[in-house]
Formats: sequence, structure tokens, C-alpha cells
Amino acid sequence: MATNRWMATGNYFTSYRDEQRIYFTNLDRTIFSMFLVLLFAWPLLFSLSNKYMLVIDNILIAVVAVIGLNIVTGFAGLISIGHAAFVGIGAYTVASFSTLIGDRHVIITHCWPLMILLAGSMGAIFGAIVGLPAMRLKHLYLAIATLSFQMIFSWTINFLDFFNQGQTIFVGRAYWLTGKVGRSDHYLFWYYVILVVVVLSGFMVRNLLRTRYGRCLSAVRDNDRAADAMGMHPGLTKVYAFALAGFFAGMAGALHAYVYRGVGFESFTLHESIAYLAMAIVGGLGTLNGSFWGPAAIMTLDLQVEHLAEKVGSLLPSNMNLATALNPLSFGLVIVLFLMFEPRGIANWWRIARSYTKLWPFRY
Amino acid sequence: MTPLNVSTPLNISNVTLTFGGLDALSNVDMNIEPGLITSIIGPNGAGKTSMLNCISGFYHPNMGEITYGEKRLTFSSPHQVTKLGIARAFQNLELFGGLSVLDNLMLARHTSLKYNFFQACLFWGKASRIEAENRRYVEEVIDFMELEAYRKSVVGNLSYGVQKRVEVARALTLGPELLLLDEPMAGMNIEEKEDIVRFIMDIKQERNTTIVLVEHDLGVVMDISDRIYVLDFGQVIGSGTPEEVAANPKVIEAYIGEE
Repeated sequence: MATNRWMATGNYFTSYRDEQRIYFTNLDRTIFSMFLVLLFAWPLLFSLSNKYMLVIDNILIAVVAVIGLNIVTGFAGLISIGHAAFVGIGAYTVASFSTLIGDRHVIITHCWPLMILLAGSMGAIFGAIVGLPAMRLKHLYLAIATLSFQMIFSWTINFLDFFNQGQTIFVGRAYWLTGKVGRSDHYLFWYYVILVVVVLSGFMVRNLLRTRYGRCLSAVRDNDRAADAMGMHPGLTKVYAFALAGFFAGMAGALHAYVYRGVGFESFTLHESIAYLAMAIVGGLGTLNGSFWGPAAIMTLDLQVEHLAEKVGSLLPSNMNLATALNPLSFGLVIVLFLMFEPRGIANWWRIARSYTKLWPFRY
Repeated sequence: MTPLNVSTPLNISNVTLTFGGLDALSNVDMNIEPGLITSIIGPNGAGKTSMLNCISGFYHPNMGEITYGEKRLTFSSPHQVTKLGIARAFQNLELFGGLSVLDNLMLARHTSLKYNFFQACLFWGKASRIEAENRRYVEEVIDFMELEAYRKSVVGNLSYGVQKRVEVARALTLGPELLLLDEPMAGMNIEEKEDIVRFIMDIKQERNTTIVLVEHDLGVVMDISDRIYVLDFGQVIGSGTPEEVAANPKVIEAYIGEE
């Protein structure tokens, strides 16, 4: 029977390799490719102010970090409350170089792809070290172990002169083929860099998930006794999950350092860790596309609430300081509402929406 | 699935396992001969599952030795035991509940998927090819265990009987020489039991796999076993062929009680 590769209906698989495909229909693949092209092309059509470009950059950086968090918490089921510290490890890797060799050294300004990978590797190393307790600890106890890493990280940064005691350490402007990236192009330039990192990370994780290196994560989440009986070392698998999460977090940290052209302690606090966890939950734990929905939703919400607070704040007496109150309030409310009504996150809405269109043009 | 040429005996000598003051197993000797179905029976709490846990590496005996051919299993971890070709189906379902039947079975191929991390990241060439090859192997097991209808279903949503079958299928997907089945028929109706018995007989005959069966249903055990060991309070009180065991006065006493 002739197979129809364009729609879900009539799309028959004739080999096991057919079934490994990421996009089951050509339509999916085409739409996704067009979406990617659009992501790369839209800045050519119209330009946003630096403020909004920074928001978009931030969302994409958070996507990279949350992909990592989703690996360890979503897929491997190990709650990590120290994810911002891993992001910090990446950022402070860049900052350390900046302190040691000067913030305008050629390694920092020209070899930034290398720095990003190096920051990722440092994140992975620290991830593996912090993951070691996971060989013995489970559930809440492990969560506390990761929390302690967050505490140690904060303390170390705040008290060591080498890290400028948590004050800003500057990182020089990057160079591209066309020369130094100027002030006006800075955020646009990094938008493209981060977008490339996001796309590569996304495909990397998507590929891992259909191999043994992704399945073993879900195995230790669902049942680590049985995982042991399948011939994998459950402890090492958990360490691997932490290392992989640390890698993405480290890359996110380096990108953060470059976008802000500086590294300061306050971007990697416990509050940020909770925010990453919230993004992962709102997006949908244990789903790859949730790592994209979550940061987008939470950060857009932040922006909207800020606007709202400004408007409402002008009507009320200034000493009520509504802006600072509305932000955590809405943030908390959104998490609670998602936990209560949609624990599977926005990714579940996406899944439902897709299953509605699956049978098209037939009704059932 | 090609038949194996199994010739490795499992020797359990003088194994003692204690929890605090309780002797779960005391001085147990067993000899599991290759190619046969050996059953371990006994009343509740006799130490049958503890015995399997010792073999598969979840417990380590306080005294005694467990050897599989030349290899010493006494202090091996479960994943090391699995790599030697000993697979285990659990009594209380230990499936990966959030994954599909297919993924559960593909996980059993974990150690056979020989590609590295970077090949996995690209999913190009080798990784893709090996995944497809092992998928073929998994499909053979699915066909063998008649699980075709449930291939893509999430395991946690399936009925108990089917989950038990997935449990056996997963152990079988490991491609074992020695298969440990811990009460594969517990909580099943007659029809499902007959199915499982048929699967066990087929596994033995078509794959030439050695089987260790822990089971409460004495009718089934007497019918299909080649050797039987009877445990009571952690001690072997009788062993031999089904006929020998059925005639053993100690066994009768343990099951029926003294007059």
C-alpha cells in the first residue's frame, strides 16, 4: 500500500528505522523547518529595542538551563534545587578567565565558542561531583544535598577575593568575523549565538532520548532496582544525569556572562534555582518541548506583570511599592495553579492540541 | 531468537543470610543444572525470594558461596549478575511504569547497544543502525510473548496480567542463559496461568534456557519442574524430582502439618 508521508493518516512504517524518525510526517518536518527559518530571519524584517532583545536573550538562555534541569529532574527524577549554582559555575568559569588574563584578552573576546564549551564542561564536572550523593541518597534527601551545593556556591563566591566577593566581574565584548560586536548589535548578535546553542542542544537531547543514553534516565526515575537488573549501574546513571544537566547549565552560564558583559553573584541565587524549577514545572517535567514553553511563559509573565505594576503603581501612593509585591505574587500563583490543575505543564496542552489535529482530515 | 547452548551450572553452597537475629536462609545448598526447570517452593516467608535476591545480587549472603560456572556471584551487584546472562522477573512488578512496553523492552537491551555517547548525540549511522537491530530483537520477544497489541501502551496503564507478562518478556529480552522467575503466576486466573506456563515451556524448549521458578501453585510446579527444592524457615527440607518431593514426609509435614 502506498504510504503517505505528509499526513498522520495513512502513514505506514515499513522498517524499524522509519519509526525512529523525530518527525513522523513530512508536514511536521516542514512546519518545524519553516519555524526555525523564521526564528533566524525575523530580525531582518523588523527590529526590537534593546530592552526586548534582552528579554528574548534571557528566555533563550533560560531554555538552555531548563533543558539541563529537565534532564536531571524531569527525566531522571532527581530533584535539583541548586541548578542556578551550576549556571553560576559556567558564568564564573568565564569570569575566572577574565580575572586571570584580563577581561579583554583575546581568549575571551575571540574564542568565545571555546569558552562556552569550556564553561559547559566545568558545569558537567561540578554536576558529576554534586551528583555523587545521588549514588546513595534519594528523593527529599538528595534535594537537600543539591540545596547545600547552592549554599556552598553562594558562600564561596561571596567570600573569596578571587571572585570579587560577588561584585561584578567584567567580561569583554566579543568579536565576530566583521570585527568587534558593537553596542547596538550586541543583543542581536548574542540572540543568534544563543539560538544556535538552543537548536543544537535541542537536537542533541532529542537524539539522546531515543537512545540508551536517554532511556536509562527514565529507567532510574521509574524504578532504579529494575534499572540495576537491566545491567546499568543506577548510581553512575544518576551521576551522568547530573553531569549532563551541569553541561547545559554551564553553557547557559557562559552565555549569560557574555550577554551581560559581566558576572555578578545575584544572578545565581537560590531564588533563581527555584525559578528554573518553576519553569521546568510550568513547561512540563519530563518533556523536551516543556523546556521551551516554561521559560517563555514565566519570563513573558514577568514582563507583563512589570507593565501592569507600572500602570497600577502610578495610580496608587508610591510607598505601597506594588511592583515588588506583584512579581513574586504572580510567580507563586502561577506555580500553584499549574501544580493543581495542570501538573504536566504546557507541554500537555501542546500534546492535546496535536492529537486533535492528528486524524485530520478525518473525524475519527 | 536462536537457541543457546547452555552448559553453565549455578552452584549455591552453604548460603546463610541473616537480618538481625532472623535467619532468612541457613546453610542452603542448591545445584541448578543447566537446561532444566528448577522450582523453589515453600510456605510464605520460607526464604524463596531471599534466595533469588541472593542469586541476582540484591542481597549478599553472610556466609557461603554462589558460583555460576567459574564466576563467583556472592558479592556481585545486580548489574554485574545481569551481564553474566542471568535475568530476573520480579514478583512485585518492577517495571518502568512511565514508559511504553517497547521502551521497557528496549531498556533490557541496554548493555547490547554498543555505540558511544557522541554517536548517540548525532543519531546517525551506527547508533541508528544498532537501535534498529535491537528493535528487531525486541519485536521477536514481543511476538513470542504475544504482546503485539500493547507495544506502544504505557506499562503503568496495563492490566495486572499483562504487566506480569511484560515483566517476563523484559527478562527474556535480556537474552539470558539463566532465567529467574519469581512467582510469575501470582494473582492470575486459570487462563492467564495456562498462558504463562505455555510461555515457560516454550522458553525452555525453543531457547534452551535454564529456568529457576519460584511458585506457590503446586499443581503447576509438579507438572512442569524437572527438579524441586523445598524451603521452610530458611532451610532446604527436601529436594529431587517432583515424585520424590511429593513423597517426602518432611515436605508433607511443612505443607499439611502434623497429625
